[in-house]
Amino acid sequence: MRAARAIAAVELRRFLRDRSNIFFVFLFPLLLVLVIGTQFGGGGGNGRVAISGTDSALNNAITASLEDDDVTVTRAGAEAVRQQVARGRTDVGLFISPAAATAYDAGDPVDLEVVPGTQQGTQATLQRVRTAVAGLSVERGQVAALVGAGIGDTQARAALADAAAASTPPELTVVDVDSITQEFAGLGQFDLGAAAELLLFVFLTSLAGATTLIQTRRLGVMSRTLGSPVSTGQALAGHAFGRFTIALFQGAYIMLATAILFRVSWGNIWLSLLVLATFSAVAAGAAMLIGSLLDNDGAASGIGIGLGLVLGALGGCMLPLELFPDTLRTIAHVTPHAWAYDAFAQIQRHDGTLVDILPALGVLVAMAAVLLALGTWSLRRSMSRAL
Amino acid sequence: MLVARDLVRRYGDLTAVDGVSFHIDPGETFGLLGPNGAGKTTTISMAAGLIPADSGSVTVAGEPMGPGEVHVKRHIGLVPQDLAIYPELTARENLMFFGRLQGLRGQPLSRRIDEVLEIIALTDRAKDPTKEYSGGMKRRLNIAIGLLHEPTLLILDEPTVGVDPQSRNAILESVEALSVGGMAVLYTTHYMEEAERLCDRIAIIDSGRIQAEGTRSELITLTGGVDHIRLAGAGQSAATQAALRALPAVEQVAADGHTLTLTVRDAPTAVAGIVTTATGAGMTLSEVEITRPDLESVFLHLTGKALRD
Repeated sequence: MRAARAIAAVELRRFLRDRSNIFFVFLFPLLLVLVIGTQFGGGGGNGRVAISGTDSALNNAITASLEDDDVTVTRAGAEAVRQQVARGRTDVGLFISPAAATAYDAGDPVDLEVVPGTQQGTQATLQRVRTAVAGLSVERGQVAALVGAGIGDTQARAALADAAAASTPPELTVVDVDSITQEFAGLGQFDLGAAAELLLFVFLTSLAGATTLIQTRRLGVMSRTLGSPVSTGQALAGHAFGRFTIALFQGAYIMLATAILFRVSWGNIWLSLLVLATFSAVAAGAAMLIGSLLDNDGAASGIGIGLGLVLGALGGCMLPLELFPDTLRTIAHVTPHAWAYDAFAQIQRHDGTLVDILPALGVLVAMAAVLLALGTWSLRRSMSRAL
Repeated sequence: MLVARDLVRRYGDLTAVDGVSFHIDPGETFGLLGPNGAGKTTTISMAAGLIPADSGSVTVAGEPMGPGEVHVKRHIGLVPQDLAIYPELTARENLMFFGRLQGLRGQPLSRRIDEVLEIIALTDRAKDPTKEYSGGMKRRLNIAIGLLHEPTLLILDEPTVGVDPQSRNAILESVEALSVGGMAVLYTTHYMEEAERLCDRIAIIDSGRIQAEGTRSELITLTGGVDHIRLAGAGQSAATQAALRALPAVEQVAADGHTLTLTVRDAPTAVAGIVTTATGAGMTLSEVEITRPDLESVFLHLTGKALRD
């Protein structure tokens, strides 16, 4: 076991010593999480609304109401808001003209322009905007009624505030009937991208790193290792453990860095780590297989990266599985990525428990067992060739 | 220390090693001398327990050796022909890794690393990645890894291939020092001079078989005390060769382009008659060289071909 640990440790050291990994292992995944989250991630909470209009009582009141409802509100010029809506960066654009602001201040009827987006969740967000605006109308009517009854404006507002604090109004929950929107409910802006990139890069790094197995044979280190008091089984275990350690390191790094930098929520961290560990075992088995079947490290690197990208794309790392057609989504589950994606979705979005992710974990464990067995068998044969 | 009996190893139809037997005593340096492809590396791979023999046996320190005999491998320090080091790691990191594989740990390992770095004169470069080393430095580190756990038998497979003369000399001096220290050494090479300089006994191996074995002087007597005269020049022909073969002192004539190599008795005495005969038979000589017996001659005598063929 000591020999296996020593081999695994030196494999990790070699991995960290490779300067090209500084970008591809440490920076590139985070850049992708940032880009994907910025471009496509939801704002979190209950949707995003971009408001155009000068600073006014009406603007402030709507903003406060929406934010109370956990809607992300941004302010921009009219053209910028239209662009945000057109490009899907916000769900709803709300335009408050100076005339509307003045009318609101004067207690006159107010006309507001709303431009809904086309993405999933827009209708739910639009409903929240309607609710916020309707709430303002109700409050204004109540104040007007009290003032009409001879109560001063300030006292009327104070009385309404006291009444609101003293009573518990019925809570309105806007449920989007769209199943896809429901699938992504509860995700932070970077959560989906972080999970997808984790899966992509754990596998990609493992497969690309399979070349070190070839180098170990070609350099004669494998021969020297077996000329030491190290059994073939210990050497095989060491290399399998080394692949696993590298995959786990890559995944743990992405989890930690995205949690710190992007406040990504990984849900129950122990369950997430369990998913990562089983997925890393699958990646380790695949890396051993490639690194032992091929004798040319250039070819292994090319095939590893190509295969990693294809499996990642098919497994939901580039486009969410929920957006796949049903048939393709079924096919996607030939990849370990899709099963790990499902498990992370359960944990991150639905507070899934161990029981919820057991089916996905079971498939991942089975895949890992098959690939590690094949990889070990193949590596044993390639070690014989190297001697 | 090591006894190899009737080792046979086949690769498909090719018999790489065919009935090789030898033994090495403690403190002895034993050489396997032969050209590339003679079966040297296959022989030491079986001796080191890297590959199994198809038949025959190896014992090290009285214990049977084979791929599964993990504990017996502690007796052996293996220095493979390839530079079996990680180029991206430093010398110290490489030594640390291979030391751990040998079961060394903690302070004893650190101390031993310092010692071998001193021996191979790499203490100052110990923290540099080995990819920045010269070929000679890498070769020295390759040997140091084999010495790290102080084995009783050191197996070196052509350790001077591709190194500059200065590093080569340093390596040979190190190996000489090891045998003085009581370590048994199995040394393979295709450089005759290295075998002559280092080895107490030498086995000449070719085509997977040991052709002869003994001390240098014992092997040279196998040539029957014959010398060689090399004639180089233009105009050599079948008639020239026939004329030279007719001389009583000439035992054999081998032609290679513009060069004739003659196996003769008592070359200093015979050379004048040979030169006269060669020029008389139409050969214009540009060079005449007399070679007294050495291991190269022994190899030529035994196999009919040059050592570096």
